[in-house]
Amino acid sequence: MRRFALALALARAAGWGAAEVEFNRDVRPVLSDKCFSCHGVDAKAKNIALRLDVEAMAKADLGGGRRAIVPGAPEASEMIRRINSESKAKKMPPVFTGHGLTDAERATLTEWIRQGAKWQKHWSLIPAVRPAVPAAKGGNAIDAFVRARLDKENLKPAAEASRDRLIRRVTLDLTGLPPTPGELREFLEDRSPHAYDKLVDRLLDRPQYGERMAMRWLDHARYADSNGYQYDGERVMWRWRDYVIDSFNRNKRFDQFVMEQVAGDLMPGATLEQKVATGFQRNHRANTELGIVAEEYQVEYVIDRVETNSAVFLGLTFGCARCHNHKYDPLTQKEMYQFYAYFNNVPEQGRAMKYGNSPPMIADPPQHQREAMKQIEREIEQTRQGLRADPRRVSVWRQSLAGDGLRYWHPGFDLKRKLSFEDPEQTRANAGIVQFVPGRIGRAVQLDGTAYLDAGFATANFDIEDRFTVAFWARSEKTPDGALFSRANDKPRGRGFGLEARQGHLHVHFTSDYDDDAIRMTSDDAVLAAGRWHHVALRYTGSRMAEGVRVYVDGMPVAMKVELDNLYRPLNNGGKEFPEPLRIGAGGGPNRRFAGQIDEMLIWARTLAEEDLALLARGELLRDQDLDSRPVREAWLESAAPAAQQALWKKYVELEQKREALERSYPTVMIMAENPRRRETHILIRGEYNRPGEKVEPGLPSFLPPLPAGASNDRLGLAQWMVARDNPLTARVNINRFWQMLFGTGLVKTTEDFGSQGEYPSHPELLDWLAVEFMESGWDLKHMVRLMVTSATYRQDSRTTPELTQRDPENRLLAHGPRLRLPAEAIRDQALAVAGLMEKRVGGPSVKPYQPAGLWEEQSMQNMDYQQDHGEGLYRRSLYTYWKRTIAPPMMVNFDASTRESCVVRESRTNTPLQALNLMNDVTFLEAGRQMGRRMLQEGGATDEARIQYGMQLLLARQARPRELAVLKESLSYHRDYFASNPARARQYLNKGESPLDLRGKPVEQAAYMALASLMMNLDEALTKD
Amino acid sequence: MHPLLATRRHFFRRSATGIGLAALGSLLDAEQAPVHPRLPGLPHHAPKAKNVILLFQHGAPSQLDLFDWKPALAARRGENLPDSIRMGQRLTGMTAFQESFPTAPTIFRFAQHGQSRAWLSELVPHMAAQADDLCFVKSLHTEAINHDPAVTFIQTGFQLAGRPSFGAWVAYGLGSENQNLPAYVVMVSQGSGNTQALADRAFGSGFLPTKFAGVKFRGGADPVLYLSDPEGYSREARRRYLDDLARLNQIQLDDYQDPEIATRISQYEMAFRMQASVPELSDLSQEPESTFALYGPDSRKPGSYAANCILARRLVERGVRFVQLFHRGWDQHSNLPKEIRTQCRETDQPSAALVADLKQRGLLKDTIVIWMGEFGRTVYSQGTLTETNYGRDHHPRCFTAWMAGGGFKGGLTHGQTDDFSYNITADPVDLHDLHATILHALGVDHTRLTFKFQGRHYRLTDVKGQVVQPLFS
Repeated sequence: MRRFALALALARAAGWGAAEVEFNRDVRPVLSDKCFSCHGVDAKAKNIALRLDVEAMAKADLGGGRRAIVPGAPEASEMIRRINSESKAKKMPPVFTGHGLTDAERATLTEWIRQGAKWQKHWSLIPAVRPAVPAAKGGNAIDAFVRARLDKENLKPAAEASRDRLIRRVTLDLTGLPPTPGELREFLEDRSPHAYDKLVDRLLDRPQYGERMAMRWLDHARYADSNGYQYDGERVMWRWRDYVIDSFNRNKRFDQFVMEQVAGDLMPGATLEQKVATGFQRNHRANTELGIVAEEYQVEYVIDRVETNSAVFLGLTFGCARCHNHKYDPLTQKEMYQFYAYFNNVPEQGRAMKYGNSPPMIADPPQHQREAMKQIEREIEQTRQGLRADPRRVSVWRQSLAGDGLRYWHPGFDLKRKLSFEDPEQTRANAGIVQFVPGRIGRAVQLDGTAYLDAGFATANFDIEDRFTVAFWARSEKTPDGALFSRANDKPRGRGFGLEARQGHLHVHFTSDYDDDAIRMTSDDAVLAAGRWHHVALRYTGSRMAEGVRVYVDGMPVAMKVELDNLYRPLNNGGKEFPEPLRIGAGGGPNRRFAGQIDEMLIWARTLAEEDLALLARGELLRDQDLDSRPVREAWLESAAPAAQQALWKKYVELEQKREALERSYPTVMIMAENPRRRETHILIRGEYNRPGEKVEPGLPSFLPPLPAGASNDRLGLAQWMVARDNPLTARVNINRFWQMLFGTGLVKTTEDFGSQGEYPSHPELLDWLAVEFMESGWDLKHMVRLMVTSATYRQDSRTTPELTQRDPENRLLAHGPRLRLPAEAIRDQALAVAGLMEKRVGGPSVKPYQPAGLWEEQSMQNMDYQQDHGEGLYRRSLYTYWKRTIAPPMMVNFDASTRESCVVRESRTNTPLQALNLMNDVTFLEAGRQMGRRMLQEGGATDEARIQYGMQLLLARQARPRELAVLKESLSYHRDYFASNPARARQYLNKGESPLDLRGKPVEQAAYMALASLMMNLDEALTKD
Repeated sequence: MHPLLATRRHFFRRSATGIGLAALGSLLDAEQAPVHPRLPGLPHHAPKAKNVILLFQHGAPSQLDLFDWKPALAARRGENLPDSIRMGQRLTGMTAFQESFPTAPTIFRFAQHGQSRAWLSELVPHMAAQADDLCFVKSLHTEAINHDPAVTFIQTGFQLAGRPSFGAWVAYGLGSENQNLPAYVVMVSQGSGNTQALADRAFGSGFLPTKFAGVKFRGGADPVLYLSDPEGYSREARRRYLDDLARLNQIQLDDYQDPEIATRISQYEMAFRMQASVPELSDLSQEPESTFALYGPDSRKPGSYAANCILARRLVERGVRFVQLFHRGWDQHSNLPKEIRTQCRETDQPSAALVADLKQRGLLKDTIVIWMGEFGRTVYSQGTLTETNYGRDHHPRCFTAWMAGGGFKGGLTHGQTDDFSYNITADPVDLHDLHATILHALGVDHTRLTFKFQGRHYRLTDVKGQVVQPLFS
């Protein structure tokens, strides 16, 4: 009896009012935390017979009649004997684990067995059923559940917050920005009973709502503008961010939002938007370090997806079963790898591109580029109308060519250089013997294997993003061997590009750094034979990838083996000139000179069509070409058509170039795709990439429901399963996170873990009600957010008392409204907004606002430097700030932003001196203070008091109390005197930031108001929604 | 009177009229209590040391050219590394396709030093002079073969991002002894050799609250980001500003009774104190000539490794728990002889001076100094081996670190490697062991310093780690 009393007392002390021990709430957390790591799903691997995570096994006869748990009889239960044992050898949990039981925990287990040891399935795995809403006066369903709990605790809800607190709270929560004085006035003057509801509707309709919701989604998705790991070069994923903002703003069904990000590429008739959505799966870090083992990181990317998807959508920690069975949840290692298999079929490389995106990816032009493209295409179409060649005229022209025996055909436009070798003055021979001999067309150059021709520095200055084509004829007595041409350092493995014959094979390279930063490929076959002329062409699309490089021999594309496909940095010495000229017959050092003949080398600054190259390789006179062929028509338009048509042709060519340039400027997004042949997945023994074990197929863990009927067993099926009605987790986990966003702590505090180590919900029925409402509303997120922010619970005053704080420090019982420090983004955005500096355009590329000098240089490679923006880029909302993973924006880090190295779903808030320094001394906040001070002076009225009150309205959406007003006035007059006593200081102090500063006014007055505005921005209240 | 105390008086005087007692109480607490207290139950046992200075040689210095003397290699110069030694071990992508693996003995002379007769290379004469205070571990090994994961592993106990750094764990467990400075301070200096990137995560707080993250002290005007008041704004003005701010926050605290407001007030006071204590700390002008003579000529240059070593001593003097230096530029894949000379010129004297300086001030017994990189380097040459030149690739299977002070046995050499400094032949020590050992010296049982995250009780040593008792005297 004494023990029972103790249990009861402890249960009460723990905050549970009732004497009935409930397995899920009271017992499982103890068993999980203290026992499952040995007596759980991994027990067998440790040769431990007893399992406490499965009821039948926990209550089974262990031999000799001993049973760990004998319902109703704690004294007969081995478990109770062992947890109370005095013997070091018998004591459970063993001392060495460091996980001793507390008295309260022992009491709970004892009492639970006494009450019959009733077992329950883990609460989060039981599909949510809509619970009956408790009877309550006023408020919505949320309030009924919250009040029922408060009643049990003998607590009363707080009164409704004042209207000015309400508008500030809800505006910050739904848009991440404070209300303007105008919005404040409108709301305060609206006396209708629905004024607050209308306000909420207005806020939900604002584009800033989508931005606000996106802030946390970017954390979950580990979004960043750089790759992470060692090099941490830039990537381009902002179109995915645009997708997220837009989806929240359009209130896309949340199930759709989830499915698109998991498997948008596999949805029937997948749209560009749906493909872009899968960028979620590619936002993980990517390693580009020279010398990594690519397979190792390919595994890491998939593991990252497993961790992210299981945390964000399911609230589970699947990654924990990478090396062994899960210690706590009923997930085997094999099941982990089955889940992994869904994400392991992407045509991706373990070693990623150093700068820019790594395949698979897709171009996704934003609206203004789409419109520009439409315009160009319209113009092209119009121009094309006027370009019809008159066959009769073409025929006449062709006849006229008959006498010109040397008019060999070649495409004319964008031809940058023609080396026909008819005139030796075109080029300079270096040492050695160079002769000009009869060749394929007129004369050719003959090289002896030691000499080369120098074609000058002005030619072929192409870099990695330039398109070009080089075509020529070549012949050698022996099997061709040696460099054909190059624009590269004269040494093996040198920087630059070139084409080389290797015993009849062709080798092409684009080299910035031979090992690390290059494209290299060699033809599968020996394509050049001895003793005959071959037409050879190299064309490049400027894609920086091997797929953009193609080699043709005699008009036919050559099959190439890619040796390295990793080109990032410019070839020509960082934008300066190549150290060597275009050299014909040389490249790769003195030992690789070519012996043979080269003729008719043509160089274009564009990628020729295959059709052009095929014709070119025929090496025919123009008059022998097909009259109707496109190239001939084009030659006519270019050189023989009537003047008007020639002009139109020129315009057409320019338009085509414009179209190409625009297309190439499209931002891309890394997306998901599937290998045509599924990549095999194996269990990795101890999680190590190079220790594959049993082969597995994609599949779901057995403790979760199966795929929906008819769903395919791939990522698309998985996506459908995640949002299926009988999935017990997705709706609960996600609505819990939105709750966390508004109330500071989730109903389940461990937002990242709904497994057995996770916390039991503070309001289980409310969580289920919300989850069911979410699903049954058609996953209508705005509806859910509206429900939460219009609840009386949310609208409570946030004042508390020491007694309440002591009893419920985290306000889990919700006896008052939320009072929480703002997220990092909102603190900066609020400053920009009240300063009138904010550039509110929604979406677009990331920007680089102020950052202390040298931060990147100190830690990054190759002096990667932070190039701060000027103008608009300084004042965009913080979710657009360029995020470099290894050196994140310092203000964001100071205010607890996640580092975006991996998925983070729990919000955290600290309170540190570095934050104080940041807000007092960072140019961002000083400039905002200057501009807010200016607004107080210019817009606030005629008196100090009116101006101070205006500042209070701008920043805090309320009037100053008399005591506050007194302090603020004193502070203002102090600063006025301070600056007046030394006006030079005022000028220095005001000189912060790049926004305009007018010093013709009264600098002392401006500086005093700037100091006051800075002080106000540093108020606890300014950093807090209350 | 100390200026801070004067400030306090000023504040109290004002508070008699404007500030409620509740805030006063919290301010007093804040001033007397350290920045963050130690965890309950810590230390687990009597500590041997209170502070750590980790001298991280970023990029991985060559054990073969500094510490791990292999005289037999001279005769094998240029020979291919025997397969019996390499045993098919994985190589980085930089040398995996190299056609041969020519053995490259060091070109530097080694000699024995001190009573302990420790072998050290001519590159580190100052360390040599200090040899009897240094405890060498020649049998360290790691799992990672590339910089980013290897640094992350040493710094956080795990190769992948997301876990708290060593210093953050120590700050979390043992708190700070100084109310004006952070518990964990980081300084980065630039070497002259081949440089690798250094991520913030190397000194981040991972899943621990951000207040435990390393605070970076930098050379230059703002030793801590945003530390300096803006131009045109005096200390007196800032004091007045903070007093007014506190009065306003107090009004809000009286009304809302949210203890976070009291914390905010105290954090602003700490910020004010840091604005005085950090410049005072960073100002080396009051150091005597003898200090600069001891630490070498670079020590007058702010931001240099040598200057940072002096700062490390000053931080420890002020009770900062964990000081970490990173010196970049040790990644010598090619031109090793030339680059290692300059790297050693930058680091040898200051590292040794720090040990000597702490010792002469009686601080070494309470302070553990650790000198190490993220892995070792290969015995075979990366690239062409010539009479005067070679390079070395990454080598995770063995490398050397030394510890000094804090109960570590000076003059000891622990662990052995084979004749090629390729494999460990006796007493291997992995990084979890090293972490466990240093925590042990700090009075912490590494298995009991845990933080629950995602359902798991995480610890610095993951699921491993053995204290290496023989290292202690």
